[in-house]
Amino acid sequence: MASPPPSSPSAARLTIPWAEQLGARLPPLLVEAERVAATVMPGIHGRRRAGPGEAFWQFRPYVAGDQASRIDWRQSGKSDRLFIRETEWEAAQTVALWRAADAGMAWRSGPEVPPKQLRADLLLLALAALLLRGGERVRLFGLPRPFAGRGALPQIADSLGAMAPTPEDPRIARHARAVLFGDFWGRLEETRRALGALSAQGVRGHLLQVIDPAEETLPYAGRIRFEEVAAGLAAALVPRVESVREVYVERLARHRAGLAAVAAAAGWSFATHRTDQPPEAALLALHQALAPQ
Amino acid sequence: MLTLGPIAFAAPWLLTALALLPILWWLLRVTPPAPKRQSFPALRLLQELPAPEETPSRTPWWLLALRLAAAALIIVGLARPVWNATAGEGGQGPLLVAIDDGWAAAADWPDRLASIESVLDAAARAGRRTALLLTAPPAVPDAPRITGLMPAEELRSRLAALRPKPWAPDRGAAREALAAWRAQHAGPFAAFYVADGVEHAAAEAPGFAPLAEALAAGGTLTLARSEGRPTRLLPPPRGEADRLVLTVRTTPLPVPSEAVVLARTGDGRTLDRAVVRIPAGATEAEAAMPLPLEIRNQVVRLDLDGVAGSNATVLLDERFRRRPVGLIAGGEESAADVPLIGELFYLDRALSPHAELRRGGVEALLARRLSVLVLADRPVNEGRERDQLTRWIEAGGTLVRFAGPRLAEAPDTLMPVPLRAGERQLGGALSWERPQTLAAFPEGSPFQGLMPPPEVTVERQVLAEPSARLTGHTWARLADGTPLVTWDNRGAGRIVMFHVTANAEWSNLPLSGLFVEMMKRLVALSAGVGGADGEAPLPPFETLDGFGRLGPPQPGAQPIPPARIESEAPSPRHPPGWYGSGAGGEAAHRRALNLGAGVAPPRLVTGIPAGTALTTIGGVPAERDLGPWLLAAAMLLLVVDMIVSLLLRGLVGRGRTRAMAGAVMLGALLAGPALAQDGNAALATRLGYVVTGDAAVDEISRTGLVGLSDFVNRRTAAALADPLPVTPGRDDLAFFPLLYWPVLGDAPQPSAAAAAALNGFMRNGGIILFDTRDEGSGEGFSPGSRAALRRLTRDLSVPPLAPVPEDHVLKRAFYLLQDLPGRFTGGSVWVAREQDRANDSVSPVIIGGHDWASAWAIDARGNNPYAVIPGGARQRTLAYRFGTNLVMYALTGNYKGDQVHVPAILERLGN
Repeated sequence: MASPPPSSPSAARLTIPWAEQLGARLPPLLVEAERVAATVMPGIHGRRRAGPGEAFWQFRPYVAGDQASRIDWRQSGKSDRLFIRETEWEAAQTVALWRAADAGMAWRSGPEVPPKQLRADLLLLALAALLLRGGERVRLFGLPRPFAGRGALPQIADSLGAMAPTPEDPRIARHARAVLFGDFWGRLEETRRALGALSAQGVRGHLLQVIDPAEETLPYAGRIRFEEVAAGLAAALVPRVESVREVYVERLARHRAGLAAVAAAAGWSFATHRTDQPPEAALLALHQALAPQ
Repeated sequence: MLTLGPIAFAAPWLLTALALLPILWWLLRVTPPAPKRQSFPALRLLQELPAPEETPSRTPWWLLALRLAAAALIIVGLARPVWNATAGEGGQGPLLVAIDDGWAAAADWPDRLASIESVLDAAARAGRRTALLLTAPPAVPDAPRITGLMPAEELRSRLAALRPKPWAPDRGAAREALAAWRAQHAGPFAAFYVADGVEHAAAEAPGFAPLAEALAAGGTLTLARSEGRPTRLLPPPRGEADRLVLTVRTTPLPVPSEAVVLARTGDGRTLDRAVVRIPAGATEAEAAMPLPLEIRNQVVRLDLDGVAGSNATVLLDERFRRRPVGLIAGGEESAADVPLIGELFYLDRALSPHAELRRGGVEALLARRLSVLVLADRPVNEGRERDQLTRWIEAGGTLVRFAGPRLAEAPDTLMPVPLRAGERQLGGALSWERPQTLAAFPEGSPFQGLMPPPEVTVERQVLAEPSARLTGHTWARLADGTPLVTWDNRGAGRIVMFHVTANAEWSNLPLSGLFVEMMKRLVALSAGVGGADGEAPLPPFETLDGFGRLGPPQPGAQPIPPARIESEAPSPRHPPGWYGSGAGGEAAHRRALNLGAGVAPPRLVTGIPAGTALTTIGGVPAERDLGPWLLAAAMLLLVVDMIVSLLLRGLVGRGRTRAMAGAVMLGALLAGPALAQDGNAALATRLGYVVTGDAAVDEISRTGLVGLSDFVNRRTAAALADPLPVTPGRDDLAFFPLLYWPVLGDAPQPSAAAAAALNGFMRNGGIILFDTRDEGSGEGFSPGSRAALRRLTRDLSVPPLAPVPEDHVLKRAFYLLQDLPGRFTGGSVWVAREQDRANDSVSPVIIGGHDWASAWAIDARGNNPYAVIPGGARQRTLAYRFGTNLVMYALTGNYKGDQVHVPAILERLGN
């Protein structure tokens, strides 16, 4: 039987050590940022102009109105003019994260594999940990404020339950990045619409389909009445599951190809992860997809 | 009615439904099993699949067989199969059921009724009319009569209301009733006779054989007897000095058996039990029940354990208790009462705690009933006085005489042995002889078992004429062999002679406790008197029913003259029970009419008519309706089918969950006994008791501590778990704050390991309560326990002891107590002396003999099974309070003792 989805704050918190351990083997993730989001928040992506930051950018002559305390006296002592030291404006990239939390995500085919929800939460938190370590900002769909700093991971875990049920959030800034986790068993149209809306906001990102191995192989036999996990779809009575397995696999491949096409059309990337595979593989794939080449 | 071997069907037409089974089989076969259900998130991909070939899915053959078996069981069960159906009594005409419902039938009365049940079942199936004959006279005095013919069902309802009678059946009258019935209902009949197997009539005119012949005359007779079950009778016991001698009469058995007699108080508490061993083939056996007098006086009835019936109950009236003692001294009446000098002073002090004393002249005393008459140095006058005394002694009186100067001068004839004139002086100024001590009491003496203390010496005595029969008439003698106490029987009574005075002039025997014990035993040995004097008939007060239960008098009970009550055979007019006025709780005026006193010893019946069919009561299983069992089996199969179906459909989780669900369901069906969990001593605070090896004593300890723990839990903040048995040296004692140790007379010395463990226990603050259980009246219960206590504690580091002081913490730890009673009271309890500052002055041992566990004990129903002595709810309450104080003392030490210093502290604060 499926265990309850780890959407409650305390359950998600429990996965934090695991998520940090997962991310510890990868370098801090610096998201590829061709055009840094138009935020004023300090970060590591230098904006090639003077502003708040740590790194030296330029000396410029003192003009009337500048504060005297900003004069760099060592540089000024080399000549007769007064100079002011300026640092580069460094800003952070914001990555918006989302994972599906419907009843189907809580399903698992057996005790040997974790529920998809658990795996999605784990990957989300591991990715968030990597991003926070890299100095990026992380925001969750539907939440007003982004998170930053190494200590924000527990807050993220606690806020998972408040996440929007669908990947829609108009507050996400342009040029931000987004990563969506879910099984995406719904109609292709829904996914297409959601990605279309996001790319219209100028958000690009990655789509990770998390599925149970049984959903790929359909390992059942005999006369089975398949029922929807949540209410909605009519149950399907299959007299002999063995005989429809081929058809199912073929339909699955079609659905997945459709998802990949939808993602590509929106300029997103797409990957699949099975819960019986180690999460490190998926995290590595995500790292490569998001990091600058 | 369809009969297949031992099985008969009451509704055989239902079996035709078995023909439907093949149809059911076909139906089950063509219906596919319900599909397995599976939740699946990617359901959308499975929608609108192309329809492949539909393979018919079949129910597995074993499931099919299971369901068919369940259906078959239901059909067969509804057809009402009966196992071992009785074919009926055969014969022609109505069925006459004759029942012996006298006292001998009470022991196995339900079995007797059950044996009739099956016969009635057969009669009901055959549609036979029935009639009932009860051989014992009914409670309202009347002759036995046969009922009219009635359907078997009606007779069955009458049987349910039947009870055995506490008197013997009258088979002669029953035969007459049968003859009268035959006159009205000529023609054959079948008879079923449930006989009690005992001949109640006199040997020369037996009652059983003629009745059986008359019953057999109707055609067929079936005789139901209880085989191998003896009929027992408990006659009134014989009282001796320190015991009751119990007799059990029985029908002979080919193997040795035993009967257990319980001595009970009026409110049903058991005071003692005695086992009477009956040799093979014997019809009578005796056993002694040693009981101290105080305890014996509380016994109101004796019961045969496990036998219900008026034959197994003996009511003990005042004859077993009341011992009026008359005291007469020679010389002046006033001189005899002078403290420390007068003779009657010592006798009065020795006898008054346990006997009713009367003073007066011989004539005045003998005018009322008297058990013992004590003549202290008083010669009996010739003539009228002697005749009166002789008559009284021969009627059962006990005359106790003490020697003295007057008697030494003029011996009379009311002596057990002839006396020499004059007295013998030992250890006087002019004699070389030394005062003599007492020798051990000889075998057969009522004083046997008492220990003569070495400090008791005799300086003067009167001497018996030496003769050959002197030895047999001596109950006590001096160390040099001269008789000190002699006795002789006269008729039903006896004369006992003390060869010393009753005051301390000739010997210091009257100063010793031995004298008290000797007088006590002599009084106990005497015949009791009881009941109202006079000839007025005694009305019935409470009567026994057939099962030996006391109740209001039965309607036909009549008053009985006191003279006849000893030997009256119980009858509807005079059922066994209490007679006399019960007004005002005046038990002294009640007399008991006992069944065992009035009926002859049970004999087995003879003369069973030839051609009689014999059955056994309660032996062969009666016919049994199999229907409910088959239906239950069908239900079980259906439950199994349900579980299997659920498993097949995947509704029960896989793996462990599934096995667990199956186990839970099976467990719910079979409801196996729960496993008792062994208590772990370390998990809770609890008391412990030392295992003595005597199961009865250990049980008392356990129930006692259970009762105490319960009381403490209710009244205080302490939370004690159930007590645990402890063997020192084997079990870890560290978990117990308090150990209760009943000391048995044969307790062995503890081993080295046990002694080390106990010493460690005491050193680390544990408390051991040693209970010798022999204080006061209990000394008969626990002989030798003082010596055993010395033996037990030889290796233990017991600190110097002192009696519990008035202000000891033990008396004020929770309740304020004056004394520390248990089952007995009055003795002293010993604790460590106060000045021992080790372990905060908490005494590691508490020693006493009050048998506390018996006072604390509660049985499974929450009653106190052991009487406290002298008794009263107050004593038990105080016993519990002592226990509470003890637990508090064990748990908190001298914490409460600090309150002693409160005044001093307050004073210091004030300054």
